[in-house]
Amino acid sequence: MKTTVIGAFPKISDDPGGQEIRRALHRFDRGEIDAGALDQVFDGATRAAIAELEAAGIDVINDGQIRWDDLFAAFARSWEGVSRGPLERFYDNNTYFRQPIIERAVATGGRTLVRDFELAKQTATKQLKAAVCGPLSFATLTAEDKAYRTLEQRTLAVADALAAEIRGLGAAGATLVDVEDPAIVARPDLISLAREAYDRMAKANVPLAVQPYFFPADGILAELASFPVAQLGIDIRSRHSDALARLEPLRARTVVLGVVDARNTRLESEGEVASALEAAARVIGPDHVWAAPTTGLEYLPHDVATKKLAVLVKGARAAMGVLA
Amino acid sequence: MTSEILLTTTVGSFGKPEYLQKARNQFARGKVSREELTKLERQATREWIERQEQVGLDILVDGEMYRGDMVAYFADLLEGYREGGLVRSYGNRYYHKPIIAGKIRRPRPMTVEWFEYAQSLTDKPVKGMLTGPYTMLDWSFNEAYPTRRDAALALAEAIREEAEDLERAGATYIQIDEPAIHARPEEIGIAIEAMGIVTRGLKAKTVSHICYGDFAAIYPAVLDLPVDQLDLAMSNYEYRWLRLFDEHPFTKELAIGIVDVHKHELESLEEAAEGIRKGLKYVSADKLFPHPDCGLKTRTVEETIDKCRVVVEAAKKVRAELGAKVPA
Repeated sequence: MKTTVIGAFPKISDDPGGQEIRRALHRFDRGEIDAGALDQVFDGATRAAIAELEAAGIDVINDGQIRWDDLFAAFARSWEGVSRGPLERFYDNNTYFRQPIIERAVATGGRTLVRDFELAKQTATKQLKAAVCGPLSFATLTAEDKAYRTLEQRTLAVADALAAEIRGLGAAGATLVDVEDPAIVARPDLISLAREAYDRMAKANVPLAVQPYFFPADGILAELASFPVAQLGIDIRSRHSDALARLEPLRARTVVLGVVDARNTRLESEGEVASALEAAARVIGPDHVWAAPTTGLEYLPHDVATKKLAVLVKGARAAMGVLA
Repeated sequence: MTSEILLTTTVGSFGKPEYLQKARNQFARGKVSREELTKLERQATREWIERQEQVGLDILVDGEMYRGDMVAYFADLLEGYREGGLVRSYGNRYYHKPIIAGKIRRPRPMTVEWFEYAQSLTDKPVKGMLTGPYTMLDWSFNEAYPTRRDAALALAEAIREEAEDLERAGATYIQIDEPAIHARPEEIGIAIEAMGIVTRGLKAKTVSHICYGDFAAIYPAVLDLPVDQLDLAMSNYEYRWLRLFDEHPFTKELAIGIVDVHKHELESLEEAAEGIRKGLKYVSADKLFPHPDCGLKTRTVEETIDKCRVVVEAAKKVRAELGAKVPA
């Protein structure tokens, strides 16, 4: 059983010394520092996030996505044919994102996140995974599409672009890539289309972890089990979910179980975390269960995110003790 | 037709003048007293009331010079809440997301003095402005109540007390904003139940502002929200929500957003007027209230005045087209 994180880590904290990024962005906006100086601040915050995740005892970390404005920003900025459109709330969060606008056929050289990944790799001492946005989320949250006639065409085009990004990350040394795709559980009616998109991304030949979150996956567990991915994320905390009692179709698949709620400050107990992990392990085997927050910890204040990491690690260790 | 058609209004917040921003920062650092800050907040409120009258808006707001965030302001004043740490809302914007940590209770009125002050400055009606219970819940962390419904209903009781006090103070319009109402469409029943607690028996006209989310996901269920008027962002969405009304007729008064508050560019008079005409296909002129899409606090004073003026002029133009008497 391993511990991991998903998505973005808080970029700043309430501590007096914890607001470097915020200050640097303000200074950049006022023209007081240049892009190079801002980059250095981002790099420093990325190293700090990695250090914090490692110090917390997380086994497989990411880079904290410190540069990510939202799930789609990096891709919408770098891909040809895409621009960033109106602000919208991101699902049921009081957090906003810019909806992509597709002006013409999407194209990418596949190196959007390579520089960030290489920087993180230089810093990380633990296994580092990469992440991309999910094709179904990108396609369903697009504000305007002038290039593709149907949602299906758009989703598959985005999947092809993401496959190129995944290939690029693989070439840079990524051995696991999270695909953050809440639309899979928000729009279970589109599960067949999602599956087709993941078939395309699987051709990049880099192990993928599909990470749907915010909504229960209870009704689509069997379909998810057929996805051509190495890991399946399941959020069991954001809403009522009976997924733990329905894991049979996922036997022998690796499940990343969202056991601490990354969107509420109420702190789970170590026992609560452990018992959920034990329940999953009894069905799919302890080696196939990874413990994670439900989604990115950036929805929480930094100090609470730190406590959530601690209880995640303690709960996983307690579960391993019981299961050993 | 009477002159009481296409009454213009705004959603609630206006930008804080630089002197007030500075004073708020200094107050946070303990360098300005509460009394001094309040004096400046009253000054800024007076300025916004004057500007609204000059522009010619019909139903005014106090501009929320004394509020930072629409949830945190009330959370600070309600018992049961504690301040949370900083959470990012977008880009480089952060807010202290409040935490429901105990039983919610309203120890004293929260907005009544501000309403009374603003109303004393004008003969035009000023809206009482509240944040709705569902949005208060959804934009807070909940550590205290076992379910989201429990928390929403507890908040509704506290907000109802405030609404009653506003009505007692003379408010003829009470706006209870629910911008989070479409956050979880499956919970629309909770939002409706909670709003029912807030508005039950009120004689004032009740309004709820809804913006920036998937309105289609809660329509037509939202027609059961117990308020007289729904106040909707429309311009930002190129009026696409109006198409929903083809299938399920809209049954309330409609405050229609006809200028986009998130862009600096000013809409033309004709664009804004066309927005009103679009609304008139679904709602009669006496039940249609043109306004900007949302609060204007992110716009400069000049941009805000320009946007409001376009709203007022567009309403005049369409009133004239309808052959109605244009109010002086």
